[in-house]
Order: sequence, then C-alpha cells, then structure tokens
Amino acid sequence: MIDPRIWLFWAFTMLVAASEVRNPLYILWLLLVAWIVEIRWALHRGQKIPWSFRWGVLLIPLAGLFNGMSVRIGETVLLRLPSWLPLMGGPITLEALVYGVLNGMALTIILSAFLTFNRATPARDMVRIVPKAFYEAGVILSIALTFFPLMLRTVQDIREAQMVRGHRIRGLRDWLAIWLPLLMNGLERAVRLAEAMVARGYGAPFPSGSPMGVQFSLAGGLTALLGGWLVRLFVPQHRDAGLGVLLLGVGLILGTVWWVGHAHPRTGYRNRSWTLWDGLIGLGCGVAAWILIDPFSWVDPQALYYSPYPRLLLPDFHPWVGLGLLGLLIPAFAKRSSEID
Amino acid sequence: MIEIEHLTYTYPGSPAPALVDLSLRVNTGEFVLIAGPSGAGKSTLLRCLNGLVPHFTGGTLSGKISVEGHDPVREGPHVLSRIVGFVFQEPHSQFVMDRVEDEIAFALENAAMPPGEMRVRVEEVMHLLDLTPLRSRKLETLSGGEQQRVAIAAALAFRPRILVLDEPTSQLDPQSAEDVLQALVRLNQEWGLTILLAEHRLERVLPYVDRLVYLPGPNGRAPMFSGPPREVLPHIDLTPPLITVGKALRWEPLPLTLKEGRAFAARMPALPPVQRALSVPPRENAPLLRIQDLHFSYDHHPALCGVHLTISPGETIVLMGRNGAGKTTLLKCIVGLLRPQRGQIWLNGEPITGQPPEKICQRVGYLPQEPDMMLFADTVMEELWTTLRNHGLQHAPPVPPCDLLVTLGLEGYADAYPRDLSAGQRQRVALGAIAVTRPRLLLLDEPTRGLDYWLKQQLVRLLRTWKQDGTAVLLATHDVEFAAQIADRVVILSNGQVVVDDQPTVLAASPLFAPQVARLFPDTGWLTAEDVMNAYPIGV
Repeated sequence: MIDPRIWLFWAFTMLVAASEVRNPLYILWLLLVAWIVEIRWALHRGQKIPWSFRWGVLLIPLAGLFNGMSVRIGETVLLRLPSWLPLMGGPITLEALVYGVLNGMALTIILSAFLTFNRATPARDMVRIVPKAFYEAGVILSIALTFFPLMLRTVQDIREAQMVRGHRIRGLRDWLAIWLPLLMNGLERAVRLAEAMVARGYGAPFPSGSPMGVQFSLAGGLTALLGGWLVRLFVPQHRDAGLGVLLLGVGLILGTVWWVGHAHPRTGYRNRSWTLWDGLIGLGCGVAAWILIDPFSWVDPQALYYSPYPRLLLPDFHPWVGLGLLGLLIPAFAKRSSEID
Repeated sequence: MIEIEHLTYTYPGSPAPALVDLSLRVNTGEFVLIAGPSGAGKSTLLRCLNGLVPHFTGGTLSGKISVEGHDPVREGPHVLSRIVGFVFQEPHSQFVMDRVEDEIAFALENAAMPPGEMRVRVEEVMHLLDLTPLRSRKLETLSGGEQQRVAIAAALAFRPRILVLDEPTSQLDPQSAEDVLQALVRLNQEWGLTILLAEHRLERVLPYVDRLVYLPGPNGRAPMFSGPPREVLPHIDLTPPLITVGKALRWEPLPLTLKEGRAFAARMPALPPVQRALSVPPRENAPLLRIQDLHFSYDHHPALCGVHLTISPGETIVLMGRNGAGKTTLLKCIVGLLRPQRGQIWLNGEPITGQPPEKICQRVGYLPQEPDMMLFADTVMEELWTTLRNHGLQHAPPVPPCDLLVTLGLEGYADAYPRDLSAGQRQRVALGAIAVTRPRLLLLDEPTRGLDYWLKQQLVRLLRTWKQDGTAVLLATHDVEFAAQIADRVVILSNGQVVVDDQPTVLAASPLFAPQVARLFPDTGWLTAEDVMNAYPIGV
C-alpha cells in the first residue's frame, strides 16, 4: 500500500506536468505514463480499458476540433470556411488543430491522474492526511464522498418509482417529481447518519482554548500576511520588513492550526510505516517535479513549453528529460493492495 | 441496570405524547424485547436510553431515567455512547467509513484511544461477531446480515454494558436475520451484555428473550405490559402463529419455541392431511402474464438465468429467495425498468419486452421497495391524480380516486400531506398511486417491510379484496408468514433461476422458508394459524 501523501504528491506532479508541458512528444510520453499507472491501479474488476482512455478518445479530437474552429493563428492553412459562418468562418490551420489536440491530451492526463489517485486512495486515508485542526472538515468530506454515489443511486430509484407512475420528463416542472423526493430523502438520510454518529460519541467536546482566542489569532495572522505582502508590493524601501511581517503572519496561522489540532486529539487506527516503494515513488516524483520546475541547465526550457505557432515544427526530445519524467511511472511497479479490489 | 420512572415525552410540534407515564426496570444481563404496533413509541423509548431523545430531537420530557447510574437527559449522548451501544434499522445509513475495520475503529479514533488499545478492541469485536474474514472488505460488498453485524460490532467497540437495537432484522432475509440474532444471543449469554431490542417479527426473537415489553398503540388500545414473555403474550392481540395457535388451543404453559410447541402438537388428535384449495385454478385460465427464458445480467454478473413463469388472472404468486436471488430484478424486467438480454414477456398475449415502463405500467402496477420514493404531492388525493394525469386518464379515471381511498382505508386522509403519515399509511398511499389506473396485475416488492402484524393483516385483506375482482398479484417477500397467508402459488428463486414453482404447501418442506405452523404440524399441509383453527374446534 502506498502512502496517501505520496499519491497526493504523484497526482500533484502529474497536474503540474499536464499544465506546464505542451511539447507533443513529452505530453504523449506523460499520457502513456498516466494510462499505464491507471491500468495498474484504477481498473475495476472486469474492466479492461481505463476510463480516461474512453474519455480521451472523445476529448482529444473534440478539443482539437474546437481549437481548430475557433483559433485563426497558424501558417499551414488546411481549409477555409466561408466567412459568413458565425464564429467558425475563416482559415482552419494545422497549428491550431495540433494545439487543441495537445490541450485535450493534457486534460486527459489530469483526468487519468485523478482517477488513479481517487481509486488508489480510500476516502478514510484522505481523511487521515488532513491536519487535525481540519479533522471535522475531513470527516464531512469523507461522508460527502460516500454520500454522492448513494445520492446518484437514489436519483435512479426515484426516477424508476416515478416512471412506473407514467411520469415523463418533458419540461422543467416535471423535475419536481424527482427533486422533491430526493431532497426529502437526502435530509432524512442525513439526520439518520448524524444520529448514528452522535450515538457513537462523534462530536464529543474536548477541552480546548477559547474560540474567541482562535479567531483573534487567525485574524491577526491573516492581517499580518496581507500587510506584509502589501508592504513588499507598494513600499520597496521596506521590502525586508514586509517579508518579516508576512512570515510572522504565516507563523501565526500555522501556529493556530497546530494549536487547534493539538486541542482536538485524534488517533489513527492504521499506522502506516514508510516503505521502500513510498521512497522510490517520492524520489521519482521529486525528479520529475525538479525537471518541470527547474530543468537541467543543458535543456532548453522552451523544449517543454513547445508552441506550434506560427508554423508547426518537429519538437525536441531530450532523452534525459524523458527519463526523468519516467519517475512518474514508478507506481505502476509497486505492489497493489488487495484493498483496492 | 436501567430504571425508568413515569417517563412522558412529546416530540416538538406533536399534539400528543409519544410516551405516556412509562415506568420500566431492566436488570443487568437481561435480553429484552420491546414490541408494539407502529407508532407505539418503541424507537423513542430506545433513543431515551442513550440521550438521543431529547438531546437530538428536542421536545419535552418529564420523568426520570437512569442507565447504569447515569442520567441520559442530563449527561447527553456523548457520555452515554460509552455505556449504551446503539444499532439502527438500516445498517448502510449509519456507516461513515468504507471498510469493515475502519468502520469499527471510527468511534475509537474519535475518542483518541491509543492505537494499541484500539487494535485490541477492534480484533475483539470482530472475533466476537465472526467478522475477522471480512475485515478488509468494502461495506457495500457485504450482505445485509453481514452489514448489520458490522453495525453491531461498531456499536460494541467502546465495550458498552448495554446494547440497544432498533428493528435490526427488518431488512434481512430469514437466514441473515437468524445469523444476527444468534450473534446477539452469544453476546448476551457469553458476555452478559444487557440487550434491548425493538422488533415487529416476534416469531424471530421470542425464543431468545428473558422479558417482553409491550407498548400499546398510540390510541392506547391496551395498557403497557412488561414481564416474562409467557406472562405478557396472553394479553397481546396480534402474535406470531405459534403463540396464536397456543392461545387458541389453550396450551399451558404457552410455548415460546417450536420445540415446546411440537410437544403440545404431538398430543393433538391426528387429522388427515388437507389439500389447500386454490381459489384460482391457474392452468385452466389463459395466462395474464407469460415469461419465457428470461435472462438478465448486471455487468456480466447474471441475475436472471432462463426464468419461465405464468400468472393467471386473480392469482397471487409469492416470489421468495435469499437477498440477491433476483426477485427485484425479475419485477423490474416485467415493468420495463430493466431490459432483459434474452427472453420474452407477454401481457394478455401481447409481447411487452422492450416497451417503455410508462406504457407497461398503465396495465401493470409496480410498488417498489421504498414507497417513499414515489411520494411528492401535497395531499394524498393529489398523489392519485398525479398518476392519472401522467397516464392521460384524468378525464375518465378507471376507478374513482375517492372510492379507491375508501378501499385503502385512507378516506379520512385525502387532504393530508403523505409524508406526515405513518409507514403503513404511506405504503397504502403509494399502493393507491399505482392502483388508480386499475391494473390487472400488481407487482409488489417487499410490501410488508417495517409493517406490524396489524398493518400486515390490513394488507392481506386489501389484496384479497382486489383478488376477488380478478387482479393478479406477484409479490416478492422474505416474510414467510405473510407468504403463507396470501399465496396461491410460491416461486422460489435461487441464483436467478426458478428452483420451485408450486403450491404454497411446498413451503412446509423448505428448511429456510417454512412458516411456523408448517414446522409445528408437519405433513398436514397447514401453513397458517387459520388453517389450524379451522381444523380443530376451539379448546380441543
């Protein structure tokens, strides 16, 4: 089992990569990495093709088409649509189509990474990586995550119950037969769950500092943060002082969060120990992140941020960069826990 | 020990109290069954024990409650959560986490219990409830009985001295319910846990309990009774068939278990086996519904495998089988909510496979498991008119809605808001909403869920009335006693296949679905207390 913080780091690095990289070769490289990891971690039982692949097949050509039809830049004109066509009239260029396809690929990478993260990290693990001060919010998030699929199932049940009464959705007003029972059912379920949680001791008060103190401390921290930032921005002669105030604000906020968390003791049932795979994946993501944020001195940064405009040229591919980005593939080799099934 | 003195409680906005001057004493280690009709205050009483009432609900409470020396009203549910474990009716609606182990540990993590001790507690309760092999399973993949055992384990994580359960077996098939009850018996006998259990199906629980507390209905039909079951049962009108037979035949002491009952039954004069006359000879009539070789799979998991079935006008067929046997799937395929991958369905000789549900449901009424999903109108009457309007029948209703409300016993509630009604009334409103088109075939999915004996008898009477008019009924249920009362034919599904399609007497030989009377008087063909009382003159 991989530590959820490592998965978070991996998903974040993939997000940064998909947002930053537009070199077609690297982005294809990243897309393959994302799909391989998704196949390894996020396929449901009996599923053979990853979800993001299915979406990608639709999304990539659509993004290409949309960009091609709406952007007029580029020298390689494929065809010209009549100018009287609103929004679409004008030249359709190869460059615009390619850039749209690249954006579609980037979106598919993001989708794939989050599908993998979501499937490989159970809701409870996500709750456990939330700082103690935000524990309640984490529990709410966890409940919301389990509530949503239940709600979808309820919508289906209500639709069926209304269909057998001859109900058809023809206009906005017809949705009332769905939304009203859904609302009532959701409220009743929420009350039942709240009751069950209270009966198990959830929400028991812990001795802690005064809420007023917490509010003052947070307000002070935010004021210092904002003040320091404004000083640095508008009073150049006191930039260092501004930095000091800004850091003081950050410290105050972090201190308050720590203090609130400390006053709400929670313990964890599962104590995860750091494994070799956690280290390897963390290292792989670190290398990839380093390449993305601060590429090797001998690599032209523009190679990552390739642009097809004004004329499409063959992009560079630096093997070291490709190798570095392969760090994101390491989760595909890690042992998959039976809990994922 | 639990001591309640002169407890009266009224929900906010309610004109009448839910509990009136209730006094009760439960000794440590007792297994107590709380019984009574719907709306008698069983759930309210149980919620008073851990402070959910009034802390969670509001309202006004007077009287005194003491639970192991604690006052739930003063100390609240957070303190009482360490002393009273609480299990609710629907296990899935009380889960916070997604895995067995994590669900059990949730309360302990909240209480900041040291991890070492937490692991000991989790292992302990998993062992006690036979959950160790399921520890890493996702809760949604568990059966109803397994889910309920997880809910009990989660409630026991704090090692409470009292376990309170509100109708924990109402959603379960007979085998799963038996598994849960056996677990409770073990907890009571081996751990000495005090258990208070509210339940409608007394036949499931009576053999195990030390004390029966009977709460009268909201209109105070009878006073409250508390004591050993043998002392209380003679004062209750509607009882399980074994008790009904025992009381009618004046068996003393009143048998609580089938074993005790058989000893009395063996002394009764032997009568030749009877053949239950079918009110409708199905094979002679042209079938109203014919199903041939029906197949349906959910994502390659077969749910129906070659189902054949015919239903004649006026026939009542009971569909039985364990959870997941394919009962609901079959009903949904008939009304077109699911499209079968293979096979054909004919209604009155016309093929209906592939037709939209809206069209099929003009002639077939389908009541889903959760009737609440149907109700959204402002009044009961409006619910009926909504269905008529949906089908374009508002100008010529096949049955006048006012008359239908009378048949349903809802004539006094035409202007009431449906969701304010009791469970039984809401179910009848939903039944009205599908029957207002006067369908010749009714499909009912678990219609007795959450109904007490009184309401079940009302439903039996209603279905018999419609049967007289030639309405056929296909109903799926786990309730074997109800099935025995109503069925002309019984169909048992297993793994999506029809394994039994026969007269109801076939239930007598089924180890899983035999009603109490069939077990009491084997080889007689009797299934209900009515059969026994018809055979023996009262007081033999």
